Amino acid sequence: MNFNPGDLYGVLPALLLAAGALVLLTSEVFLRPVEPDRRYQAWVAAAFAFAGLWASLAQLGDPAQPLFAGAAVSDGFAHIVAAVVCAALFLSCIVAFSYLESLRATRGEFYALALFSASGMCLLAQATDLVVIFISLEVMSLAVYALCAYLRRGKRPAEAAFKYFILGSFASAIFLYGAAFAFGASGSTRLADLAATVRSGSATTLVYASAALLAAGFAFKVAAVPFHMWVPDVYDGAPAPVTGFMAAGVKAAAFATLVRILVSGYGEGGRWRGLIVALAYLTMLVGNLLAVPQRSVKRMLAYSSIAHAGYLLVAVAAMGTSAPRADAAGALLFYLASYGATVIGAFAVVAIIERKLALSGLGDDLSSWAGLSEKHPALAAAMSLFMISLAGVPPTAGFMAKLTVFRSAIEADLVPLAIFGVITSVAGLYYYLRVVVYVYMVPEAKADAVQGGRLLSAGLAIAGCALIVLWMGVLPGSFAALAQSGAAVFGR
Amino acid sequence: MAEAVLFYLFAAGVLAGGSQVVLRRNPIYGAVSLVGCFFFLAGIYVLLSAHLIAILQVLVYAGAVMVLFVFVIMLLNLKEEELGELRFTFWKVVGLVAVLATAAVIAWRALGPAYPSTGPARDNAILLAAEGFGGVKAVGRTLYLAAVLPFELTSLLLLVAIVAAVVVAKGKI
Repeated sequence: MNFNPGDLYGVLPALLLAAGALVLLTSEVFLRPVEPDRRYQAWVAAAFAFAGLWASLAQLGDPAQPLFAGAAVSDGFAHIVAAVVCAALFLSCIVAFSYLESLRATRGEFYALALFSASGMCLLAQATDLVVIFISLEVMSLAVYALCAYLRRGKRPAEAAFKYFILGSFASAIFLYGAAFAFGASGSTRLADLAATVRSGSATTLVYASAALLAAGFAFKVAAVPFHMWVPDVYDGAPAPVTGFMAAGVKAAAFATLVRILVSGYGEGGRWRGLIVALAYLTMLVGNLLAVPQRSVKRMLAYSSIAHAGYLLVAVAAMGTSAPRADAAGALLFYLASYGATVIGAFAVVAIIERKLALSGLGDDLSSWAGLSEKHPALAAAMSLFMISLAGVPPTAGFMAKLTVFRSAIEADLVPLAIFGVITSVAGLYYYLRVVVYVYMVPEAKADAVQGGRLLSAGLAIAGCALIVLWMGVLPGSFAALAQSGAAVFGR
Repeated sequence: MAEAVLFYLFAAGVLAGGSQVVLRRNPIYGAVSLVGCFFFLAGIYVLLSAHLIAILQVLVYAGAVMVLFVFVIMLLNLKEEELGELRFTFWKVVGLVAVLATAAVIAWRALGPAYPSTGPARDNAILLAAEGFGGVKAVGRTLYLAAVLPFELTSLLLLVAIVAAVVVAKGKI
């Protein structure tokens, strides 16, 4: 049980991201306290995020192996999640650059915290020990809480961050309680030992209580109903680039860990499936219903994020059956990647609009989107593409992702759940297309163009997201193959 | 036998202290109850043969951390009227009933069979405890060898917490 330095290679993406954060924090010390000096930071952060992406993709072909005496694992599933997180961070850094520059809010801590939280996410995807999961979860969450409170202009951001912090701590406590029960049942914090206890069939009540509590803790992080109360306020109050990163990164890491705990820890028997199925029904229904009356695009996207958590839970539920588990895991990974690309793009457009609103002191309302197509046809087209992808219309990534998830649910004998998912996503068309209607068909009340320069970098990020969304929608083959290779660790 | 009596004594102390932390309106009383709770918890650690953890619990938590807590509470200097009114709402009652019911079910169904007072599991635990268990050396070996990843991650967590606190405490950006 000695320390093996080779294990550090297995957590290379997380190490790279943490190193990037340290470089940014240290470099800040040597700077004059003026704004233009700090422009390099977004690009340094993006470079480290890209390095993390490269490292996780480079490790993809390696055989799965346990690290640090079984506390973590280096396998395809974790590498794909790490790649999604790093790509999300890369795009978010570029979006944040123009956003923070125009609001004169560039500080080193912003990118450092984003890098720290991404390193927590990468470790979360690799962790196979409840203690490591808890600490990585806190690394990720603490950094994200602070990012939400980063821009405190007006009342809403502070309220959002505080709400997120209090409720998030509560969810962490619930997770910890479940972890204590799991330790009580199995005498170990390793998921493998927990699986052995579950297989032996002793201490059943304790096992079920721990499974329910651990799932509840992560249901909060993935924004599943009834643990969704924080989502609209936090998504609305946080700066738009942060919201995009949260929606893509936190969701990917939390879903990966939820799957890891349920399948690797409580896999045998799959008695947890009923719980996840119930959560999926509730989440799809409530998320889509509450999104309908929203006038603020950010709040609408928040409820849409809840609804998408429901579709992802369908894939998780499909992993609890005897049907080929790897298919469902592959569908989950594909969905996480496509949702990440779409939502970061959508929030990048929101960031441009929000910046205009912040500079002119207006509130976020659909009417501020009216007539966007006349002044900025490219932005309007991109936003429409992202909305169509979120709604799940071909030929976009969202359609292919929903298709694979529902197909895996049908293979797993969850036909009613798949039908319910299709019906709710059709209902979702209404509120997604309403944005498109405002962008293209509603004339603008009074003319004021999007102010401020530096649209170029945000535009690049939006173009990148749009490219990925179209690519995954039209030619999903290579992405699906990648997701399947990552999902192979869950066997059969 | 004496062990069981001590355990129930300490457990009752932890529960009483912990519930006072939540129920007391004045934060200073809450902080002092928390100190008591920590001391009883240290007693339970001693019963588990975790001597080092028990001492650290008293030194670090009941000592250093609590002093900081009390400082912060004193600096905030909350007035009685700022604490707001104590109200019983429907949902609070529902929450209380849910908590009590969950605790009862867990205590009744789960805890008994999971923590046997006799049998091989307990003998095994006593056997393990003989080998310098709970001392500085054993804890150190566990911390730096078996649990090296969570140990190093904790340092990352503390750094993130410091940076996050600076960001939040800084003036408005």
